Amino acid sequence: YPLFQLGGPQLRIFRPNFFMLAVRPGVPQPEDTVQFRVSMQMTKMDIKNYLEKIYNVPVAAVRTRIQYGANNKRNHKNQRVKKPDYKVAYVQLGQGQTFQFPNLFPEKEQDAETRSFDDFKDKYMEREKQRQKGDPRRGGVPDWFGL
Amino acid sequence: MAASMGRRLLLHGHRWFSQSESAVPTQPPDSLYPPIVASATAKSKAAKRRRLEHFNQRVHAAASIEEKLRLYGQLQRPKYMIYPQTFALNADRWYRSFTKTVFLPGLPPRRAPAAAQAPGVAAPEAAKAVEGAAPQAAEAAEPGAAAPGAAKTPAPAAGAAPYLDMGELRSLACDALLQESFYQNKKRPFLYRDQDHTPGPFLTQLVSTLAAFLCGRNPLLAAASLDLNPEVNYYWHHGEEVVVHGHRKGRVDPVRFQIDDNPHLQIRVPKQLPEFVPLESDLGDVPVIDHKPSKLPLFKKQYENKVFIGSKVADPCCYGHTQFHLIPDKLNRKRFIRADLEDQIEVVYRANGIASLFAWTAAQAMYQGFWSEADVTRPFVSQAVVTDGKYFAFFCFQLNTLALTVETIQNNPRKNICWGTDSKPLYDVVEDGSVKGFNDEVLLQLVRFLLNRPKEL
Repeated sequence: YPLFQLGGPQLRIFRPNFFMLAVRPGVPQPEDTVQFRVSMQMTKMDIKNYLEKIYNVPVAAVRTRIQYGANNKRNHKNQRVKKPDYKVAYVQLGQGQTFQFPNLFPEKEQDAETRSFDDFKDKYMEREKQRQKGDPRRGGVPDWFGL
Repeated sequence: MAASMGRRLLLHGHRWFSQSESAVPTQPPDSLYPPIVASATAKSKAAKRRRLEHFNQRVHAAASIEEKLRLYGQLQRPKYMIYPQTFALNADRWYRSFTKTVFLPGLPPRRAPAAAQAPGVAAPEAAKAVEGAAPQAAEAAEPGAAAPGAAKTPAPAAGAAPYLDMGELRSLACDALLQESFYQNKKRPFLYRDQDHTPGPFLTQLVSTLAAFLCGRNPLLAAASLDLNPEVNYYWHHGEEVVVHGHRKGRVDPVRFQIDDNPHLQIRVPKQLPEFVPLESDLGDVPVIDHKPSKLPLFKKQYENKVFIGSKVADPCCYGHTQFHLIPDKLNRKRFIRADLEDQIEVVYRANGIASLFAWTAAQAMYQGFWSEADVTRPFVSQAVVTDGKYFAFFCFQLNTLALTVETIQNNPRKNICWGTDSKPLYDVVEDGSVKGFNDEVLLQLVRFLLNRPKEL
């Protein structure tokens, strides 16, 4: 590639080696705030440009913090095992946009077949348990106990 | 022995109890048996309620205002610091929810002056907002018109209506502006100190000359006190939260806020400004935000709980008239435009107006002996002008209630009201020793603010 000088044509594309992971916030966040786990080397400007240029997401403000991973767990050799540190970014979206983290594991609707099968299974388990139980007048004492 | 044990427990758990006071107030001597009430030292909700009640009685019965303020802010705990001039997005909505304020765009409705006024007065009465000042400014520009002259003075002028010379006021403003930005030879401003270089001195000069000029028309200004770079502080509780970590983890605490503000200029007067609307008016809704204030972002710190209006309690000028705020260089318009945040420009002005005026009026009310358990019986009114040197925004605030704590807010229908305009430029550009595009409406609004006075004067 020819040497680049200011104002010349940009012939090479540099793709960032960063990855951003959108996570569900542990504490409730305002509607316009999205929470990400980002690489420790990313800065607020990096995060803003990443979202705006690659994903066309308008970003109004970014705040970051570094979460320290604990070093208290021990392995079988009694050595301390560290959980890795990571950076968390709180991104406030611009232009009045809002974001709600989706529910990734919704409850599946049960059709009539599965429901009746579940009922049948429950009833069968009940009957088996009743059969295993001894005489209720003995108050839970086993059969082999006695004269 | 039991009594001394009880006393020691009391001192250890509740630091705000003074050593000489007992937890239980003295019984009246005529009853045979002591009254059956909940314990005051037990770890129970009834005991906590009784301690709170005893604390409220102590504040109610305080001998002087200073003692009341001292007891009110005695217990120090981590509290949210609210900065009126903030870069946080949508800060004005959050501040409105913290202070139970309704925001109304425009300016408050004009108070009806007495009868026997020229029909020219009816025109300014109909025009409620600054936008309506255009026809009045046009009228005022004509020399020798008595009716617009009467319109400028809000109170009825007995006899001859004093005529306000727009030309003279304009020349005063232009002189101050040119002196600071053109005639005076100044070095380049230091990094991020642009506001102290030109707009700061211009604002001081403008306000002091205008106030001196209008003293004759407004006798309140003659008795007023103009503070340069004063301090205004207020401390209050609003809402509840559970303590997250620490030795007090799990307890339910009120959410504490503190505003520490430094307006550029402030005018304090000995007489209260009249109210804009009656005390119990309901003119809008207060936004309800059920997130924690730290999401704004807002940070906690523990330091002195100060309530201050700019002068101590004994000062005769204990009511507020007008504040002038200068927006710092970090929040100027170019930065917001470059970051594609044009709508946040107005948010900065509004947040500054609401927070600063709430702190000032509430501190004035505390100086008169009102607090959250003893709510105000008359509304406290103040005005503010927020500017960045070129753009001016005008705000009026009426404090109707101080009761914002969890117990007192439940049956309190009153809301505080803030009127505010958008920011408008005073001039377009200063070049070659002259001011281009001078805006008379803004100056007129400023003059009207300065001329605001109680009806008796």
